[in-house]
Amino acid sequence: MSDLEIGLYSFPALLIMIFLRVPIGLAMFVTGLVGLYLVTGGNTVALSRLKNETYSTFSSYSLSIVPMFLLMGHFATLGGMSSALFRAAEGFLGHRRGGVAMASIGACAGFGAICGSSLATAATMGRVALPELKRYGYEGGFSQATLAAGGTLGILIPPSVVLVIYAILTEQNIAKLFLAAFVPGLLAALGYVLAISIYVRLNPDAAGTRPAIPMGERLKRLGAVWPVLLVFVSVVGGIYGGIFTPTEAAAVGALGTALIALANGGLTGKTLIESFMVTAKSTAMIFFIVLGAAIYNGFLALTQVPQEMSTWVVSQGYAPITVLLVILLFYLVFGCLMDSLSMILLTVPIFFPVISALDFGLVDLITMQHEAARAALASVTDLAPDVRAEIEALIAAGAEIPRELQRAIDIRVTEGVVNRIAAEQTAIWFGILVLIVVEVGLITPPVGMNLFVINAMDKATPMLQTYKSVLYFVGSDIVRVGILVAFPAITLFLL
Amino acid sequence: QDVTLKLHQFLPAQANVPKLILDVWADSIEAASDGRIEVERYPSMQLGGRPPELMDQVIDGVADVVWTVVGYTPGRFPSTEVFELPFMVTDARAASAAYWQMYEAHMQEEFADVHILGTWVHGPGMIHANQEITTPDDMQGVKIRGATRQVNTLLETLGATPVGMPVPAIPEALSKGVIDGTTIPWEVTGALKVPELVDYHTEFEGAHFYNVTFVLAMNKGVYDGLPDDLKAVVDENSGLEFSVFAGGTQSDADGPSREAALDNGNEIVTVSEEAAEAWRVAAQPVYDKWLAEMTELGIDGQALIDEARQLMADYEG
Amino acid sequence: MLGRIVEALARLLALLGGLVLSALIIMTCLSITGRWLNGVLHSDLLEGGVLSTWLLALGIGPINGDFELVEAGMAFVIFAFLPITQLRSGHASVDIFTARLGVTPNRWLAALWSVLFAAILILISVQLWAGTEAKMRYGETTYLIQFPIWWAYAAALVGACVAAVTAIYVALARVAEVVTGATILADGADQ
Ligand code: NA
Ligand code: NA
Repeated sequence: MSDLEIGLYSFPALLIMIFLRVPIGLAMFVTGLVGLYLVTGGNTVALSRLKNETYSTFSSYSLSIVPMFLLMGHFATLGGMSSALFRAAEGFLGHRRGGVAMASIGACAGFGAICGSSLATAATMGRVALPELKRYGYEGGFSQATLAAGGTLGILIPPSVVLVIYAILTEQNIAKLFLAAFVPGLLAALGYVLAISIYVRLNPDAAGTRPAIPMGERLKRLGAVWPVLLVFVSVVGGIYGGIFTPTEAAAVGALGTALIALANGGLTGKTLIESFMVTAKSTAMIFFIVLGAAIYNGFLALTQVPQEMSTWVVSQGYAPITVLLVILLFYLVFGCLMDSLSMILLTVPIFFPVISALDFGLVDLITMQHEAARAALASVTDLAPDVRAEIEALIAAGAEIPRELQRAIDIRVTEGVVNRIAAEQTAIWFGILVLIVVEVGLITPPVGMNLFVINAMDKATPMLQTYKSVLYFVGSDIVRVGILVAFPAITLFLL
Repeated sequence: QDVTLKLHQFLPAQANVPKLILDVWADSIEAASDGRIEVERYPSMQLGGRPPELMDQVIDGVADVVWTVVGYTPGRFPSTEVFELPFMVTDARAASAAYWQMYEAHMQEEFADVHILGTWVHGPGMIHANQEITTPDDMQGVKIRGATRQVNTLLETLGATPVGMPVPAIPEALSKGVIDGTTIPWEVTGALKVPELVDYHTEFEGAHFYNVTFVLAMNKGVYDGLPDDLKAVVDENSGLEFSVFAGGTQSDADGPSREAALDNGNEIVTVSEEAAEAWRVAAQPVYDKWLAEMTELGIDGQALIDEARQLMADYEG
Repeated sequence: MLGRIVEALARLLALLGGLVLSALIIMTCLSITGRWLNGVLHSDLLEGGVLSTWLLALGIGPINGDFELVEAGMAFVIFAFLPITQLRSGHASVDIFTARLGVTPNRWLAALWSVLFAAILILISVQLWAGTEAKMRYGETTYLIQFPIWWAYAAALVGACVAAVTAIYVALARVAEVVTGATILADGADQ
């Protein structure tokens, strides 16, 4: 068997293990180890790698964001931020048809801005909002579907643990990825609100109503949201304002939420220990998958599978957009079975080289030159009239501006610069699209982690009812993916 | 082919060192062995782990050949630090030659676990910052990323604030103002987009501000297991001549990057040999500290310094 | 009895991990503050003043090697978080295909995989020990603070060993569940 064949056979082997309920991190770890043994013809390499690999994977500075953000989410809940968010959103929207559900989405979006995990967002807001939805006569399945979908905003709206992992895997800038996720995240929230209004129109009995509350009370509730705003601004603002790196931002956020929770009595010795235990479980779960992926991906690299695969796809001459859609469809299907983080860690090292090798025409040399030149011409005053005229003529003719003329107006848009920008934009765009489709996987039946978490909170509602209602939200997700594929600028314009 | 060598290193394949040095080395081994040796190239840490682990990877046989920065594993190869001292090296070729000769004479024990193929240093180490730096006074409180333990000691001695971070983090840290500058040779500035992120570059006439040592190392068992004729092929492509070629090539790659910075409209501050005197004086404690550390390890640091100076002078003369 | 000891050990490690994580968070925040103050004191407005010179002489600035401390500390934190995850079946898995198999086959699978997991964690601990020993032998240090790397390896090793012990206990309990048909370990979620 050639190395390449061993690499290819490892996929079905791995899937069989995973479907036989082997913990995903363990399955990747074992497949990688056995693969290394087969490819290198002995156990020296496999064993030697283990001497340093566990330590070096776990001691990653960038990955240290993960437990810090997870802890921050717990402290935020202890500090009463989740209920403050829900009360504020409910105050403004509660009296509308489906309003309390819409408020839940709004509160999830707000909580997503200070929490990096979908499960944590779903669980936290579920605890706050489920009883309220029940009180106002909302149907159980609908309520649960709403909160499961709202939970996905936790990883879509920055900060986001999954985006951090993607950034590390593809060596992209974490801050830029966060920025790119922002508008798609807001679009998601908007889409869910639309899904709710369609749902209550078609199923008028699914939601009750309540009378409006006075504006003064609403504003008072809004005022109670300030800690959320403070944390969000200092974390996200700190990253973009150049005050600190993403890891430092996570530390600031965790300490800030801890202090707020301490001030309002939510953080005690007992709840602190509880936070440690819950954070410990999610953190170790994530890192063990990261470790398994590191071993498995090291083995795959040795077999040359990722390189061969991208060479093959490019040589087939498929349209880039076709390749992209096939990959996204793959994620959607597998998302019904696997959790998002495992999927990213397992597949991005294989798909990313393929996507990077394709040209999606996201940036164009001439357009970029002309944009830069127009801006420069508008600000430069001491330019010789004939040079100005020459450049303007080139712009009008849609032609390339030569190096010397660019120099005259102090711009430098070369092929190399444009290629680098194109590579980065492709990576970011693909990352956001993948993030969204795996996030859809969290709410697609049968395996949707968010659905499980929420359903476990209210045993009176059968899972099937939740499955039915959640399809409206899945539909809204699919429409959004279509929009983002068709218009890359929605994702990229902020960069 | 008879033998496959996995060559593992931390830079992307299109960076200067892989493209201009390692590929040339690998190609020439493949050609000289009539294809009986194949060198599989794994750039960007594709075989896993992080750059500081490259040395262990080649010792343990995870990779057969690695290119690594000696300073990534501080404390393990103390003698090599003689070439990392401030204002020690004037020419990368001379230093690489001296480094190889001294490796053969004194450092084999430190590198006993591997088979060394080449030893070299990069071109002039220098400062790239978002403020003008001409005298040691300008360094006070400036946050600068240092390349190795020695560079950090140097920065601290000069009154700057050394900030530790891995190489890929430099662009982001510069763009966010987390650091005010970084120490790297010209040759790597392109890949890290440094000219776009800073306005000033401070270079020194004569001796280099600092330097970094590299090795190309092979797994001992793999080397010993080669048949004699293939061993001869490897030997022909390693040693003094290869080390000088590597150091020289890497140093020559500085030119185009310097041009690019000028093209970008950046200002290059050149500290003259006379003006560098103030810097040398300010940097003297680095020597004292290093000598004391070597004494503690039972190494005669002064002898290493003298010998390195002599060998470099011999090469240049 | 054995169960309670393992339980206590796993909780203790998770608690220690949480405390170290908190310490790293606080240290990072202090370092940011120091870096910021250092910048302010060096600003044109304050540079050279008596107070700022005095404060700078005190060494106000970022914590030297904060980045290395986070790395070394995180390795311990993650390993310390492993035992409780092991004990509570906290690892992600896909049970959609096995859900229909019924209780006994599922118990068999659980037993089989927990034995495999224990074997892997033992292997990880043994190799991490080899790594620790190698770092000790080579005298490798971190590059700013220059503390020996093997200290951090050794701390991580403690977590790894407890994780291995926990995994062995879990494996034994799962096998016992298959043999006796009784439920010994509570299953996964929400504890
Ligand atoms: Na979030
Ligand atoms: Na799913």
